[in-house]
Amino acid sequence: MIKSKLATKMMVGGTFLAVAAIPAMAVAQDAAVKVAVAPNVAIAKAVAAAVTMSIAAMSAGYAQSKIGAAAAGTLAERPEAGTNLIVITALTEIIVLMGFVIAFMINA
Amino acid sequence: MKAAKDAPQKLAKAGKLPRDRRPRTRDYGYGNARTRGMKSNLLGAAFFEELMSASDLSKMIHLLLDTQYGPDLEARLIQGHTPAVVDDALKDNMVRTFAKIMGFVSDEARLLSITLLGRWDLFNIKTIIRGKHMKLKTETIVDSLLPVGEMTQVELKELAGLEDVLAVTDTLWTWGVPYSIPLRESVQEYLKESDLSVLELSLDRYYSQWAAKRLTSRRANYKLARMILGLQVDSTNLVTAFRLLKADTTEMDVKRLFLPGGVHVTEELFLGLTSLSDVDEVIDALKGTPYSAQLEKVLVPYLDANSIAVLERALEDYVMRKALGSGFGDPLGFGVMVSYLYAKQNEVTNVRIIVKGNAVGMPADRMRKELIFV
Repeated sequence: MIKSKLATKMMVGGTFLAVAAIPAMAVAQDAAVKVAVAPNVAIAKAVAAAVTMSIAAMSAGYAQSKIGAAAAGTLAERPEAGTNLIVITALTEIIVLMGFVIAFMINA
Repeated sequence: MKAAKDAPQKLAKAGKLPRDRRPRTRDYGYGNARTRGMKSNLLGAAFFEELMSASDLSKMIHLLLDTQYGPDLEARLIQGHTPAVVDDALKDNMVRTFAKIMGFVSDEARLLSITLLGRWDLFNIKTIIRGKHMKLKTETIVDSLLPVGEMTQVELKELAGLEDVLAVTDTLWTWGVPYSIPLRESVQEYLKESDLSVLELSLDRYYSQWAAKRLTSRRANYKLARMILGLQVDSTNLVTAFRLLKADTTEMDVKRLFLPGGVHVTEELFLGLTSLSDVDEVIDALKGTPYSAQLEKVLVPYLDANSIAVLERALEDYVMRKALGSGFGDPLGFGVMVSYLYAKQNEVTNVRIIVKGNAVGMPADRMRKELIFV
Protein backbone atom coordinates (compact mmCIF):
# COMPACT_ATOMS: atom_id res chain seq x y z
CA MET A 1 0.00 0.00 0.00
CA ILE A 2 2.73 2.43 1.03
CA LYS A 3 4.85 1.38 -1.98
CA SER A 4 1.98 1.98 -4.43
CA LYS A 5 1.38 5.42 -2.87
CA LEU A 6 5.06 6.24 -3.25
CA ALA A 7 5.04 5.08 -6.88
CA THR A 8 2.02 7.32 -7.61
CA LYS A 9 3.72 10.29 -6.00
CA MET A 10 6.91 9.65 -7.99
CA MET A 11 4.94 9.41 -11.23
CA VAL A 12 3.13 12.69 -10.55
CA GLY A 13 6.44 14.33 -9.66
CA GLY A 14 8.15 13.00 -12.80
CA THR A 15 5.34 14.20 -15.06
CA PHE A 16 5.45 17.62 -13.46
CA LEU A 17 9.21 17.89 -13.99
CA ALA A 18 8.92 16.76 -17.61
CA VAL A 19 6.25 19.41 -18.33
CA ALA A 20 8.39 22.05 -16.64
CA ALA A 21 11.45 21.07 -18.65
CA ILE A 22 9.78 21.20 -22.12
CA PRO A 23 9.80 25.03 -22.47
CA ALA A 24 13.41 25.10 -21.33
CA MET A 25 14.43 22.60 -24.00
CA ALA A 26 12.48 24.54 -26.63
CA VAL A 27 14.24 27.76 -25.66
CA ALA A 28 17.58 25.95 -25.72
CA GLN A 29 16.93 24.83 -29.31
CA ASP A 30 15.97 28.41 -30.31
CA ALA A 31 19.15 29.73 -28.75
CA ALA A 32 21.28 27.63 -31.06
CA VAL A 33 20.09 29.57 -34.10
CA LYS A 34 20.19 33.06 -32.50
CA VAL A 35 22.91 35.56 -33.28
CA ALA A 36 25.29 36.94 -30.65
CA VAL A 37 23.83 39.65 -28.31
CA ALA A 38 25.50 42.82 -27.02
CA PRO A 39 28.02 42.17 -24.15
CA ASN A 40 26.11 44.32 -21.60
CA VAL A 41 22.88 42.41 -22.30
CA ALA A 42 24.74 39.11 -21.94
CA ILE A 43 26.18 40.23 -18.58
CA ALA A 44 22.75 41.40 -17.37
CA LYS A 45 21.24 38.08 -18.38
CA ALA A 46 23.98 36.15 -16.61
CA VAL A 47 23.52 38.20 -13.44
CA ALA A 48 19.72 37.75 -13.59
CA ALA A 49 20.13 34.01 -14.07
CA ALA A 50 22.58 33.83 -11.16
CA VAL A 51 20.24 35.82 -8.89
CA THR A 52 17.29 33.62 -9.88
CA MET A 53 19.20 30.46 -9.21
CA SER A 54 20.61 31.75 -5.90
CA ILE A 55 17.26 32.89 -4.54
CA ALA A 56 15.63 29.62 -5.60
CA ALA A 57 18.41 27.60 -3.97
CA MET A 58 18.33 29.62 -0.75
CA SER A 59 14.53 29.41 -0.56
CA ALA A 60 14.66 25.67 -1.06
CA GLY A 61 17.38 25.40 1.56
CA TYR A 62 15.32 27.40 4.06
CA ALA A 63 12.18 25.36 3.36
CA GLN A 64 14.12 22.12 3.58
CA SER A 65 15.72 23.10 6.89
CA LYS A 66 12.27 23.70 8.40
CA ILE A 67 10.70 20.61 6.89
CA GLY A 68 13.78 18.51 7.64
CA ALA A 69 13.76 19.53 11.30
CA ALA A 70 10.07 18.71 11.63
CA ALA A 71 10.58 15.44 9.74
CA ALA A 72 13.44 14.47 12.06
CA GLY A 73 11.20 15.19 15.04
CA THR A 74 8.39 13.06 13.65
CA LEU A 75 10.81 10.28 12.71
CA ALA A 76 12.10 10.14 16.30
CA GLU A 77 8.61 9.36 17.61
CA ARG A 78 7.00 7.61 14.63
CA PRO A 79 9.60 5.76 12.53
CA GLU A 80 6.81 4.15 10.48
CA ALA A 81 6.15 7.53 8.81
CA GLY A 82 9.69 7.57 7.33
CA THR A 83 8.78 7.00 3.66
CA ASN A 84 6.24 9.81 3.59
CA LEU A 85 8.69 12.12 5.33
CA ILE A 86 11.38 11.55 2.69
CA VAL A 87 8.88 12.46 -0.06
CA ILE A 88 7.75 15.59 1.80
CA THR A 89 11.36 16.67 2.43
CA ALA A 90 12.33 16.07 -1.21
CA LEU A 91 9.34 18.04 -2.55
CA THR A 92 11.09 21.33 -1.79
CA GLU A 93 13.77 20.43 -4.35
CA ILE A 94 11.20 21.48 -6.98
CA ILE A 95 11.82 25.10 -5.98
CA VAL A 96 15.48 24.75 -7.04
CA LEU A 97 14.51 22.98 -10.25
CA MET A 98 12.10 25.79 -11.08
CA GLY A 99 14.85 28.32 -10.43
CA PHE A 100 17.20 26.35 -12.64
CA VAL A 101 14.68 26.22 -15.50
CA ILE A 102 13.92 29.95 -15.24
CA ALA A 103 17.65 30.79 -15.08
CA PHE A 104 18.17 28.66 -18.17
CA MET A 105 15.34 30.47 -19.99
CA ILE A 106 16.77 33.88 -19.09
CA ASN A 107 20.20 32.98 -20.36
CA ALA A 108 18.98 31.39 -23.58
CA MET B 1 21.97 22.62 43.06
CA LYS B 2 23.28 26.18 43.15
CA ALA B 3 26.19 27.69 44.99
CA ALA B 4 25.23 29.06 48.36
CA LYS B 5 27.46 32.09 48.12
CA ASP B 6 25.70 33.67 45.15
CA ALA B 7 22.18 32.70 46.20
CA PRO B 8 21.13 36.20 47.35
CA GLN B 9 22.33 37.77 44.08
CA LYS B 10 20.39 35.21 42.08
CA LEU B 11 17.33 35.71 44.22
CA ALA B 12 17.50 39.46 43.87
CA LYS B 13 16.90 38.98 40.17
CA ALA B 14 14.26 36.29 40.66
CA GLY B 15 11.67 36.42 37.95
CA LYS B 16 13.75 38.57 35.62
CA LEU B 17 15.91 36.50 33.35
CA PRO B 18 19.62 37.28 33.32
CA ARG B 19 21.03 38.11 29.87
CA ASP B 20 22.77 34.74 29.50
CA ARG B 21 19.55 32.82 30.24
CA ARG B 22 17.28 34.63 27.77
CA PRO B 23 16.03 32.33 25.00
CA ARG B 24 18.42 32.05 22.08
CA THR B 25 16.49 29.59 19.94
CA ARG B 26 12.85 30.03 19.05
CA ASP B 27 12.36 27.27 16.49
CA TYR B 28 9.31 25.12 17.16
CA GLY B 29 9.51 22.89 14.06
CA TYR B 30 11.43 19.95 15.54
CA GLY B 31 9.91 20.14 19.01
CA ASN B 32 6.33 20.48 17.82
CA ALA B 33 6.66 17.67 15.27
CA ARG B 34 8.05 15.40 17.96
CA THR B 35 5.38 16.45 20.42
CA ARG B 36 2.68 15.72 17.83
CA GLY B 37 4.23 12.30 17.34
CA MET B 38 4.02 11.72 21.10
CA LYS B 39 0.46 12.99 21.16
CA SER B 40 -0.55 10.31 18.68
CA ASN B 41 0.44 7.73 21.34
CA LEU B 42 -1.95 9.09 23.96
CA LEU B 43 -4.68 6.72 25.11
CA GLY B 44 -8.16 7.11 23.68
CA ALA B 45 -11.63 6.86 25.21
CA ALA B 46 -11.96 3.23 24.01
CA PHE B 47 -8.91 2.24 26.07
CA PHE B 48 -10.31 3.92 29.18
CA GLU B 49 -13.57 2.02 28.72
CA GLU B 50 -11.61 -1.24 28.43
CA LEU B 51 -9.60 -0.35 31.52
CA MET B 52 -12.75 0.43 33.50
CA SER B 53 -14.28 -2.89 32.52
CA ALA B 54 -11.18 -4.81 33.71
CA SER B 55 -12.17 -7.37 36.34
CA ASP B 56 -9.17 -6.90 38.63
CA LEU B 57 -5.81 -5.16 39.07
CA SER B 58 -3.77 -7.82 37.25
CA LYS B 59 -5.99 -7.41 34.16
CA MET B 60 -5.46 -3.63 34.32
CA ILE B 61 -1.69 -4.09 34.66
CA HIS B 62 -1.78 -6.42 31.66
CA LEU B 63 -3.60 -3.76 29.60
CA LEU B 64 -1.25 -0.99 30.70
CA LEU B 65 1.86 -3.04 29.92
CA ASP B 66 0.97 -2.81 26.22
CA THR B 67 0.94 0.99 26.31
CA GLN B 68 3.65 3.63 26.68
CA TYR B 69 3.42 3.03 30.45
CA GLY B 70 4.81 -0.49 29.94
CA PRO B 71 8.52 0.19 30.66
CA ASP B 72 7.79 2.25 33.80
CA LEU B 73 5.33 -0.37 35.02
CA GLU B 74 7.79 -3.21 34.44
CA ALA B 75 10.44 -1.38 36.44
CA ARG B 76 8.04 -0.85 39.36
CA LEU B 77 6.35 -4.25 39.40
CA ILE B 78 9.38 -5.71 41.16
CA GLN B 79 7.98 -4.02 44.28
CA GLY B 80 4.67 -5.89 43.98
CA HIS B 81 1.31 -5.84 42.21
CA THR B 82 -0.58 -3.18 44.16
CA PRO B 83 -2.50 -0.04 43.11
CA ALA B 84 0.18 2.07 44.84
CA VAL B 85 2.89 0.52 42.66
CA VAL B 86 0.87 1.22 39.50
CA ASP B 87 0.34 4.77 40.73
CA ASP B 88 4.10 5.21 41.18
CA ALA B 89 4.72 3.85 37.67
CA LEU B 90 2.23 6.35 36.21
CA LYS B 91 3.96 9.18 38.04
CA ASP B 92 7.37 7.93 36.84
CA ASN B 93 6.09 7.97 33.28
CA MET B 94 4.79 11.52 33.57
CA VAL B 95 8.05 12.77 35.09
CA ARG B 96 10.08 10.96 32.40
CA THR B 97 7.88 12.29 29.58
CA PHE B 98 8.03 15.89 30.77
CA ALA B 99 11.81 15.65 31.23
CA LYS B 100 12.11 14.22 27.72
CA ILE B 101 10.17 17.17 26.29
CA MET B 102 12.34 19.67 28.14
CA GLY B 103 15.35 17.94 26.60
CA PHE B 104 14.45 18.54 22.95
CA VAL B 105 12.51 21.81 22.81
CA SER B 106 13.96 25.21 21.90
CA ASP B 107 15.06 27.71 24.55
CA GLU B 108 11.88 29.77 24.29
CA ALA B 109 9.59 26.74 24.52
CA ARG B 110 11.59 25.50 27.55
CA LEU B 111 11.31 28.88 29.28
CA LEU B 112 7.56 29.04 28.71
CA SER B 113 7.00 25.40 29.69
CA ILE B 114 9.08 25.72 32.87
CA THR B 115 7.16 28.85 33.80
CA LEU B 116 3.83 27.05 33.44
CA LEU B 117 5.17 23.88 35.06
CA GLY B 118 6.39 26.04 37.94
CA ARG B 119 3.02 25.35 39.54
CA TRP B 120 4.25 21.78 40.07
CA ASP B 121 7.29 23.09 41.95
CA LEU B 122 4.85 25.15 43.97
CA PHE B 123 2.69 22.07 44.56
CA ASN B 124 5.73 20.04 45.67
CA ILE B 125 7.04 22.71 48.04
CA LYS B 126 3.55 23.13 49.52
CA THR B 127 3.28 19.35 49.94
CA ILE B 128 6.63 19.22 51.76
CA ILE B 129 5.68 22.15 54.00
CA ARG B 130 2.31 20.58 54.79
CA GLY B 131 4.05 17.28 55.56
CA LYS B 132 6.54 18.99 57.86
CA HIS B 133 3.76 20.98 59.54
CA MET B 134 1.84 17.78 60.24
CA LYS B 135 5.04 15.91 61.14
CA LEU B 136 4.46 13.19 58.53
CA LYS B 137 7.05 10.55 57.67
CA THR B 138 9.53 11.39 54.90
CA GLU B 139 8.32 8.41 52.79
CA THR B 140 4.71 9.62 52.99
CA ILE B 141 5.71 13.08 51.78
CA VAL B 142 7.91 11.68 48.99
CA ASP B 143 5.03 9.50 47.75
CA SER B 144 2.90 12.58 47.21
CA LEU B 145 5.51 14.50 45.20
CA LEU B 146 5.53 14.83 41.44
CA PRO B 147 8.84 16.31 40.23
CA VAL B 148 7.79 17.56 36.80
CA GLY B 149 8.88 21.15 37.38
CA GLU B 150 12.38 22.58 37.63
CA MET B 151 13.20 20.83 40.91
CA THR B 152 14.46 17.27 40.62
CA GLN B 153 13.42 14.15 42.51
CA VAL B 154 16.73 14.16 44.43
CA GLU B 155 16.31 17.77 45.54
CA LEU B 156 12.72 17.21 46.61
CA LYS B 157 13.65 14.05 48.53
CA GLU B 158 16.34 15.98 50.35
CA LEU B 159 13.85 18.69 51.27
CA ALA B 160 11.31 16.11 52.42
CA GLY B 161 13.94 14.59 54.72
CA LEU B 162 14.62 17.86 56.56
CA GLU B 163 13.54 18.47 60.12
CA ASP B 164 10.93 21.24 59.91
CA VAL B 165 9.49 24.10 57.86
CA LEU B 166 12.27 26.47 58.90
CA ALA B 167 14.93 24.00 57.69
CA VAL B 168 13.10 23.67 54.35
CA THR B 169 13.00 27.45 53.96
CA ASP B 170 16.69 27.87 54.81
CA THR B 171 17.74 25.06 52.44
CA LEU B 172 15.72 26.53 49.57
CA TRP B 173 17.37 29.91 50.26
CA THR B 174 20.81 28.32 50.25
CA TRP B 175 20.07 26.64 46.93
CA GLY B 176 18.92 29.95 45.44
CA VAL B 177 15.41 28.72 44.70
CA PRO B 178 13.15 31.77 44.15
CA TYR B 179 10.32 30.28 46.23
CA SER B 180 12.43 30.80 49.34
CA ILE B 181 11.77 34.55 49.08
CA PRO B 182 8.06 34.39 50.05
CA LEU B 183 8.82 31.63 52.57
CA ARG B 184 11.44 33.71 54.35
CA GLU B 185 9.11 36.70 54.40
CA SER B 186 6.27 34.81 56.05
CA VAL B 187 7.99 32.07 58.05
CA GLN B 188 8.18 34.16 61.25
CA GLU B 189 4.44 34.83 61.12
CA TYR B 190 3.88 31.10 60.55
CA LEU B 191 6.07 30.18 63.52
CA LYS B 192 4.24 32.67 65.71
CA GLU B 193 0.69 31.65 64.76
CA SER B 194 1.35 28.10 63.47
CA ASP B 195 -0.96 28.95 60.57
CA LEU B 196 0.03 27.11 57.40
CA SER B 197 -2.20 29.21 55.15
CA VAL B 198 0.16 32.17 55.69
CA LEU B 199 2.96 30.30 53.91
CA GLU B 200 0.71 28.83 51.23
CA LEU B 201 -0.83 32.16 50.37
CA SER B 202 2.52 33.90 50.08
CA LEU B 203 3.80 31.06 47.87
CA ASP B 204 0.74 31.28 45.57
CA ARG B 205 1.04 35.04 45.33
CA TYR B 206 4.75 34.83 44.64
CA TYR B 207 4.31 32.21 41.89
CA SER B 208 1.72 34.24 39.97
CA GLN B 209 3.94 37.34 40.15
CA TRP B 210 7.14 35.40 39.30
CA ALA B 211 5.51 33.74 36.30
CA ALA B 212 3.94 37.01 35.08
CA LYS B 213 7.39 38.67 35.19
CA ARG B 214 8.83 35.94 32.95
CA LEU B 215 6.02 36.28 30.43
CA THR B 216 6.14 39.99 29.66
CA SER B 217 7.09 39.73 25.97
CA ARG B 218 4.54 40.73 23.30
CA ARG B 219 5.18 37.61 21.21
CA ALA B 220 2.17 35.40 20.47
CA ASN B 221 3.66 32.43 22.33
CA TYR B 222 4.13 34.50 25.48
CA LYS B 223 0.56 35.79 25.17
CA LEU B 224 -0.69 32.22 25.05
CA ALA B 225 1.35 31.25 28.12
CA ARG B 226 0.03 34.37 29.90
CA MET B 227 -3.53 33.36 29.05
CA ILE B 228 -3.08 29.84 30.45
CA LEU B 229 -1.44 31.23 33.59
CA GLY B 230 -4.29 33.74 33.96
CA LEU B 231 -6.90 30.98 33.73
CA GLN B 232 -5.06 29.02 36.42
CA VAL B 233 -5.01 32.09 38.66
CA ASP B 234 -8.74 32.67 38.03
CA SER B 235 -9.40 29.06 38.93
CA THR B 236 -7.49 29.39 42.23
CA ASN B 237 -9.33 32.63 43.08
CA LEU B 238 -12.71 31.06 42.37
CA VAL B 239 -11.94 28.02 44.53
CA THR B 240 -10.91 30.40 47.33
CA ALA B 241 -14.20 32.30 46.87
CA PHE B 242 -16.18 29.03 47.06
CA ARG B 243 -14.34 28.00 50.23
CA LEU B 244 -15.18 31.34 51.81
CA LEU B 245 -18.91 30.84 51.20
CA LYS B 246 -19.20 28.81 54.37
CA ALA B 247 -16.74 30.88 56.36
CA ASP B 248 -17.36 33.97 58.44
CA THR B 249 -15.50 36.72 56.58
CA THR B 250 -16.51 39.68 58.69
CA GLU B 251 -13.21 39.89 60.55
CA MET B 252 -11.09 38.49 57.76
CA ASP B 253 -8.87 40.51 55.41
CA VAL B 254 -10.33 38.94 52.25
CA LYS B 255 -8.34 41.21 49.95
CA ARG B 256 -5.21 39.42 51.09
CA LEU B 257 -6.50 36.12 49.68
CA PHE B 258 -6.81 37.48 46.14
CA LEU B 259 -4.15 36.44 43.63
CA PRO B 260 -3.41 39.04 40.96
CA GLY B 261 -2.86 38.13 37.30
CA GLY B 262 -6.17 36.47 36.39
CA VAL B 263 -7.94 36.86 33.04
CA HIS B 264 -11.60 37.26 34.01
CA VAL B 265 -11.71 37.42 37.81
CA THR B 266 -10.67 40.91 38.86
CA GLU B 267 -10.03 41.96 42.46
CA GLU B 268 -13.34 43.83 42.52
CA LEU B 269 -15.25 40.76 41.29
CA PHE B 270 -13.41 38.54 43.78
CA LEU B 271 -14.30 40.81 46.70
CA GLY B 272 -17.90 40.81 45.50
CA LEU B 273 -17.95 37.01 45.33
CA THR B 274 -16.57 36.61 48.84
CA SER B 275 -19.39 38.74 50.24
CA LEU B 276 -21.99 36.29 48.88
CA SER B 277 -23.34 33.32 50.79
CA ASP B 278 -24.74 30.95 48.17
CA VAL B 279 -23.31 29.13 45.13
CA ASP B 280 -26.26 30.25 42.97
CA GLU B 281 -25.45 33.88 43.76
CA VAL B 282 -21.78 33.31 42.88
CA ILE B 283 -22.72 31.79 39.53
CA ASP B 284 -25.05 34.73 38.86
CA ALA B 285 -22.28 37.16 39.74
CA LEU B 286 -19.97 35.36 37.32
CA LYS B 287 -22.34 36.01 34.36
CA GLY B 288 -20.31 37.56 31.59
CA THR B 289 -17.34 35.31 32.29
CA PRO B 290 -16.90 31.84 30.73
CA TYR B 291 -16.95 30.24 34.20
CA SER B 292 -20.66 30.84 34.73
CA ALA B 293 -21.82 28.30 32.11
CA GLN B 294 -19.12 25.84 33.17
CA LEU B 295 -20.14 25.97 36.85
CA GLU B 296 -23.86 25.93 36.09
CA LYS B 297 -23.40 22.52 34.43
CA VAL B 298 -22.11 20.97 37.67
CA LEU B 299 -24.46 22.74 40.06
CA VAL B 300 -26.67 19.67 40.62
CA PRO B 301 -23.73 17.25 41.18
CA TYR B 302 -22.23 19.84 43.57
CA LEU B 303 -25.46 20.09 45.57
CA ASP B 304 -25.70 16.27 45.63
CA ALA B 305 -22.13 15.72 46.77
CA ASN B 306 -21.85 18.97 48.78
CA SER B 307 -18.16 19.05 47.90
CA ILE B 308 -16.10 21.91 46.50
CA ALA B 309 -14.05 19.27 44.67
CA VAL B 310 -16.87 19.08 42.09
CA LEU B 311 -16.56 22.79 41.31
CA GLU B 312 -12.77 22.55 41.38
CA ARG B 313 -12.84 19.73 38.84
CA ALA B 314 -15.21 21.72 36.59
CA LEU B 315 -12.84 24.69 36.61
CA GLU B 316 -9.91 22.36 35.97
CA ASP B 317 -11.88 20.92 33.05
CA TYR B 318 -12.34 24.40 31.59
CA VAL B 319 -8.63 25.31 31.85
CA MET B 320 -7.76 21.90 30.38
CA ARG B 321 -10.04 22.39 27.37
CA LYS B 322 -8.67 25.88 26.72
CA ALA B 323 -5.12 24.51 26.90
CA LEU B 324 -5.97 21.61 24.60
CA GLY B 325 -7.69 23.96 22.16
CA SER B 326 -4.53 26.06 21.89
CA GLY B 327 -2.92 23.13 20.05
CA PHE B 328 -5.17 23.67 17.04
CA GLY B 329 -3.85 27.15 16.29
CA ASP B 330 -0.37 27.90 15.03
CA PRO B 331 1.38 24.61 14.12
CA LEU B 332 4.73 26.31 14.73
CA GLY B 333 3.73 27.91 18.04
CA PHE B 334 3.82 27.07 21.74
CA GLY B 335 0.19 25.90 21.69
CA VAL B 336 1.11 22.43 20.44
CA MET B 337 3.32 21.88 23.48
CA VAL B 338 0.82 23.33 25.97
CA SER B 339 -1.83 21.09 24.50
CA TYR B 340 0.34 17.98 24.90
CA LEU B 341 1.49 18.81 28.44
CA TYR B 342 -2.12 19.19 29.58
CA ALA B 343 -3.34 16.16 27.62
CA LYS B 344 -0.63 14.00 29.18
CA GLN B 345 -1.40 15.26 32.67
CA ASN B 346 -5.08 14.55 32.07
CA GLU B 347 -4.34 11.07 30.79
CA VAL B 348 -2.29 10.19 33.87
CA THR B 349 -5.04 11.60 36.12
CA ASN B 350 -7.66 9.52 34.27
CA VAL B 351 -5.66 6.28 34.56
CA ARG B 352 -4.97 6.95 38.26
CA ILE B 353 -8.68 7.51 38.90
CA ILE B 354 -9.55 4.24 37.16
CA VAL B 355 -6.83 2.21 38.91
CA LYS B 356 -7.70 3.57 42.35
CA GLY B 357 -11.45 3.44 41.66
CA ASN B 358 -11.28 -0.16 40.49
CA ALA B 359 -9.22 -1.11 43.53
CA VAL B 360 -11.92 0.17 45.91
CA GLY B 361 -14.77 -1.26 43.81
CA MET B 362 -16.10 2.03 42.45
CA PRO B 363 -18.82 1.54 39.80
CA ALA B 364 -17.81 2.33 36.19
CA ASP B 365 -20.49 5.04 35.89
CA ARG B 366 -19.10 6.89 38.87
CA MET B 367 -15.56 6.62 37.48
CA ARG B 368 -16.75 7.86 34.08
CA LYS B 369 -18.12 11.03 35.73
CA GLU B 370 -14.73 11.74 37.28
CA LEU B 371 -12.80 11.41 34.01
CA ILE B 372 -12.15 14.19 31.53
CA PHE B 373 -12.20 12.85 27.97
CA VAL B 374 -10.34 14.95 25.42
